[in-house]
Amino acid sequence: MPEKAQLRILVVEDETKVARALREGLEREKYEVVVAQTGEEGFFLVNAEEFDLVILDLMLPGRDGLQVLSTLRKRGLETPVLILTARDAVEDRVRGLDSGADDYLVKPFAFPELLARVRARLRRNRSEQDPRLRLADLEMDVLARNAKRSGRSLELTVREFELLEYLLRHKEHIVSREMLARDVWKESARVTPLDNVMDVHINRLRRKVDEPFGRKLIHTVRGVGFVLREES
Amino acid sequence: MKLYPTSVRSRLTLWYVGVLAVLLLAYGAGSFFYLLLSMRHQMDHNLLEDKETVEGQIVTKPGGLTVQSHHGEEGEPSVRRFIEIWTPDGKLLYRTAQLQGQALGAPPVLGEKLKRNEFASVVLSNGLRVRVVTSFHHMENGLIVIRVGHNEESMGRELNEFGTVLAIGFPLGVFLAGIGGYALAHKALAPISAMARETKKISAEDLAARLSIRNPQDELGQLGAVFNNMLSRLQQAFERLRRFTADASHELRTPLTAMRSVGEVALQDGKTAAEYRDVIGSMLEEVDHLTRLVESLLVLSRADAGHVRLNREEVSLVSVAQEAVSVLEVLAEEKRQTVAVTGEPSLAVFADRLILRQAIVNLLDNAIKYSPPDSRILVRAGEGEADEVFLEIIDRGPGIPIEQQPYVFDRFYRVDEARTREWGGTGLGLSITRWAVEAHDGDVTLKSQEGSGSVFRVSLPLARKPAQP
Repeated sequence: MPEKAQLRILVVEDETKVARALREGLEREKYEVVVAQTGEEGFFLVNAEEFDLVILDLMLPGRDGLQVLSTLRKRGLETPVLILTARDAVEDRVRGLDSGADDYLVKPFAFPELLARVRARLRRNRSEQDPRLRLADLEMDVLARNAKRSGRSLELTVREFELLEYLLRHKEHIVSREMLARDVWKESARVTPLDNVMDVHINRLRRKVDEPFGRKLIHTVRGVGFVLREES
Repeated sequence: MKLYPTSVRSRLTLWYVGVLAVLLLAYGAGSFFYLLLSMRHQMDHNLLEDKETVEGQIVTKPGGLTVQSHHGEEGEPSVRRFIEIWTPDGKLLYRTAQLQGQALGAPPVLGEKLKRNEFASVVLSNGLRVRVVTSFHHMENGLIVIRVGHNEESMGRELNEFGTVLAIGFPLGVFLAGIGGYALAHKALAPISAMARETKKISAEDLAARLSIRNPQDELGQLGAVFNNMLSRLQQAFERLRRFTADASHELRTPLTAMRSVGEVALQDGKTAAEYRDVIGSMLEEVDHLTRLVESLLVLSRADAGHVRLNREEVSLVSVAQEAVSVLEVLAEEKRQTVAVTGEPSLAVFADRLILRQAIVNLLDNAIKYSPPDSRILVRAGEGEADEVFLEIIDRGPGIPIEQQPYVFDRFYRVDEARTREWGGTGLGLSITRWAVEAHDGDVTLKSQEGSGSVFRVSLPLARKPAQP
């Protein structure tokens, strides 16, 4: 969905390939993206211009990401910051959050996950937790715990309902298996058995939500994850 | 400069020699003094007898006294005898000619208390050592003081000879002991040197060799056995490491190879967007596989380094097992299998819920995977011996051959190469399970018979006794 005023994101990342992928991926989502290759540059840009979100790599040449972050926070800058780190030791995460980061992602991260986090950060203040969700002729009422398609009620198990709700909340955006493992199954790590479990649930959901109605809403994006959307 | 010898052999010899020298010295000195004392005792005894003889031979003559001896004045031929007779007030009455005017001590002083049989050693002015006994004797015309002396020379000679023997024998004995000790130490240490030589030949490449043990009962035999035992364990560890390295490179290279060939082939000719999409998707699947592989390896290496912190709390073993079952239930449903959980819900363990569940999920996943359709899987919790609780996951799968059982918890170990890879597993599931259980001070074991299923048993320390009804 295109935003009225374009949201600006600063990406501080020294790895050229990653930086380019982030820029392209975010621009596709209609964000305005500025890339800084070093900590110094990022620090300068964030002071000079207005951004809605900063994506900050922790391992940077010149100036460490954490240092940049804590300096910015000391100066009272309140732009949300999402840190990227290849070090996933708990201490590092804690240190990142202590330095004033709002969220973190461990490399290699799934891009859909990054997008979901970015959306969550930028949506923060609007607080849209509408209990009624819809896509095309699929409707869900989270409070009443019912789901309908074309006015017909769907018989879903608890897990299937949660899965569909999650997909619907992220409609038109790809949901990765990591996101499902963490948010739907509440597992700390995505493990192989869980992948098989997800596949079974997605298949069952398809049989209930898609097959009787002809038009597919649940799509598998090979190697990336799942998405709920209307085929154009 | 090193004064202390470095080889055990020299040190042993030095000790032998030192101890022997001290013993010999003590023994030599002891016998020397014993000899000295007994000779003196004998001499004093003779002297006393002689004095009594002399007393009987004193003859009064005008103007003085004289001693009439059968052997003449010189006494017995072996001993030179000297006689002096004094009045108690220090006047010389008689002196043997042999003394040539030399005194056998100072003249008696009047008023000094006279003692019977007082012994003293005296050196004459010509250097002769004389043992003297002084006594008094009643004559018809008053008291006289008699001194009889015996030459000490013969005793000195004997002692001297004895001392010489000791002085020559001591270094000789010590020297011989040194040589003997050195030879003995060599003999005692020879098996150790042999062991060292044998050990040197055993390298990391050839850990199959073992030390030869002559007598397994003696100390060296035991040492050899300990060495051999250590070698066996080392060999096993190396073997595992070698297999791990080979397996890991295989596991890591397979997805890389797939990515590379899929990508390269796709670039060879023009394809439609949909086809490219498919190629990229296929490559991403491999990336995904690699990512999980790396993450699992990181989990294990962090565990090896002891960097994992557990959030332990008291949890019901049965409820954790039920959570694991509820996650995987759908997989069993797809194969029309049933999973039953039995056990006392109050059996509690002190554990990190998520990590423990992960361990159980991995075991349960295996059970579901390998059990035939329509079969039954049992998850049974119970109380074992000595404050231990166990959870058994019992399947009706094909079982695991006995020779493979010790390795199933090894990283990347696959019981059936071809079959397991189809499932897209990382080959690290059971290793992670073992780590997770051991991190909770527990133990995971496998009992299996080919053809009749497997039992994986997790035992953990009990956190609380079940509440008595």
